[in-house]
Amino acid sequence: MKIAVLVKQVPDPNAIRFDPRLGDLVPGTPQATNEYDLYAVEAALRMKEQVSGAEVVVASVGTARETLNRCLAMGADRAVAIEGPGLPGDSLATARALAAWLRREAPDLIWAGQETSDAGTGNVGPQVAALLGIPLVSNVVGWEYRDGVLTLEREIEDGHQFQQVQPPALLCALSALDEPRLPTLRGIMEARRKPSERLSPVDLGLTEEDLTPVVSWGGLFLEEEKAAGIVLRDVDPDQAVEQLVAFLQERRLI
Amino acid sequence: MAQERVLVVVETVGSEARPASLELFGAGRPLADRLGGELVGLVIGSGVQRVAELAGHLGADRVLLADDPALGEPVAARAARAVEAAIAASDPALILLPATTLGRDVAPLLAATFRAAHLVNCVRIEVDDETVTATRPVYQDKLLTTVRAARSQRVFVTVRSGAFAVPEAQPGLQVPIEQLAVSLTDADRAVVVTQLVEKPKGMTNLENAPIVVVGGRGVGSAENFRLVEELAAALDGAVGCTRAVSDLGWRPHYEQIGQTGKNIRPKLYLGVGVSGAVQHTVGMRSSDTIVVINRDPNAPLVKMADFAIVGDLFEIVPRLTKRLRELRGTA
Repeated sequence: MKIAVLVKQVPDPNAIRFDPRLGDLVPGTPQATNEYDLYAVEAALRMKEQVSGAEVVVASVGTARETLNRCLAMGADRAVAIEGPGLPGDSLATARALAAWLRREAPDLIWAGQETSDAGTGNVGPQVAALLGIPLVSNVVGWEYRDGVLTLEREIEDGHQFQQVQPPALLCALSALDEPRLPTLRGIMEARRKPSERLSPVDLGLTEEDLTPVVSWGGLFLEEEKAAGIVLRDVDPDQAVEQLVAFLQERRLI
Repeated sequence: MAQERVLVVVETVGSEARPASLELFGAGRPLADRLGGELVGLVIGSGVQRVAELAGHLGADRVLLADDPALGEPVAARAARAVEAAIAASDPALILLPATTLGRDVAPLLAATFRAAHLVNCVRIEVDDETVTATRPVYQDKLLTTVRAARSQRVFVTVRSGAFAVPEAQPGLQVPIEQLAVSLTDADRAVVVTQLVEKPKGMTNLENAPIVVVGGRGVGSAENFRLVEELAAALDGAVGCTRAVSDLGWRPHYEQIGQTGKNIRPKLYLGVGVSGAVQHTVGMRSSDTIVVINRDPNAPLVKMADFAIVGDLFEIVPRLTKRLRELRGTA
């Protein structure tokens, strides 16, 4: 069984700071592996431990050396970095690049994080599934693989939905899955000897037109704050309550 | 000119519309007017004729009904096939879906198939002759950005829950309902739903409640939440909490508002002992009226509030509850 995991390196969500003059993050924001992706890697590794002879391949579009190294140190067998002109483009360009690579690899199963902490479109997983023509199961919080059938527990608005599907399929992980393991020292040492490949769009037979973005992005900004409202300070509690009740009545809220 | 229609996709739960999808009529009407085309409603589900009628009352010029037992449960591939059939039937320029778990599966699936743009989880949407421009939250709701897609191709837009108001229903509006046949392929049926374990009732109530009373860490203990519950009951509202409170185990996670919880947009948000960390305010900032009772005059939520009382919640909340009960008693 071959399992591919799609991962992304993102600005560390706990370290991001906004620079209003730049309309962008403060330059030099530390990078991190997208959190949901680590849960996807963990799920793939656990699946590998269950199925003898399985292989886990991690792939990323754009600069992601630390992230790919971390996945190898966690226990993935090999890594693929897809980099080059036009990448990373928009989510569809990223999905097209990944799909071109996945057609060659033909994995039995693809895991991805539900969405990234930066752009957070959640587009890439479903778009890869559509481009490959394989079933999509998103918002996965639990899984079981038995007799060639996957049972997936999904967290949706109405509760927990259980779906069954046979591989190949693309699964999007949420963080209610098993906690991602930390790389061990031995894992870090071994990672250095594991195969790591770098592919360009040309290697994957992609043209400039294939990677032309369909969505363009403006700068970042903050929501405008609302105008200040009424603030009662040092007012006797009974009087404060009367004023609040009058305010609620005036707005027809009670 | 072709491609001037706006298609809105109405998701259903059982025989009812999912509330977030009714907000699409509020989002879609001005866009259809700007393009000078029809607003087309697509209702997907099983046994949902009444929702199709509701789509007409909410302002759809034309209603397509994909009513099939196979569409009664949320499965991405099947819903995507229904939307594809509706696109073939109505040739829309713009397809609006709710930013629900299903909508956010279906939109990118179809965007990839059509090689089209999907503008995700949008809070504002504008169109002109060439471009669709939308505002959407990024970096886990900490910031916003503007995204653009050319109108040379259809554009898919998922709309964030709470960003647009549901138009007032006009039961006088009678719009013909067209049955839409959806033929599912074997591949569409590859995923089988085996079970649904429903969530406790309180959860869905919270997202749709017109009045929500939220308690924060300042409430002090699980026992003290009785004060919040009593105030909510006096207002006929639902109880919510902050992340600190659910992390402490004072309240269940499904009551949590904000980043890793629910987004709400009630008519009245009343925060008790809530300081207003950004992780919380992203989930409630679009509430119509914000009222806060907090000891700290510098709390971020006090600055956001329409009405704030700086004081001891243990002195104020019981008095407020008592006063509201008196008012109801005499009403």
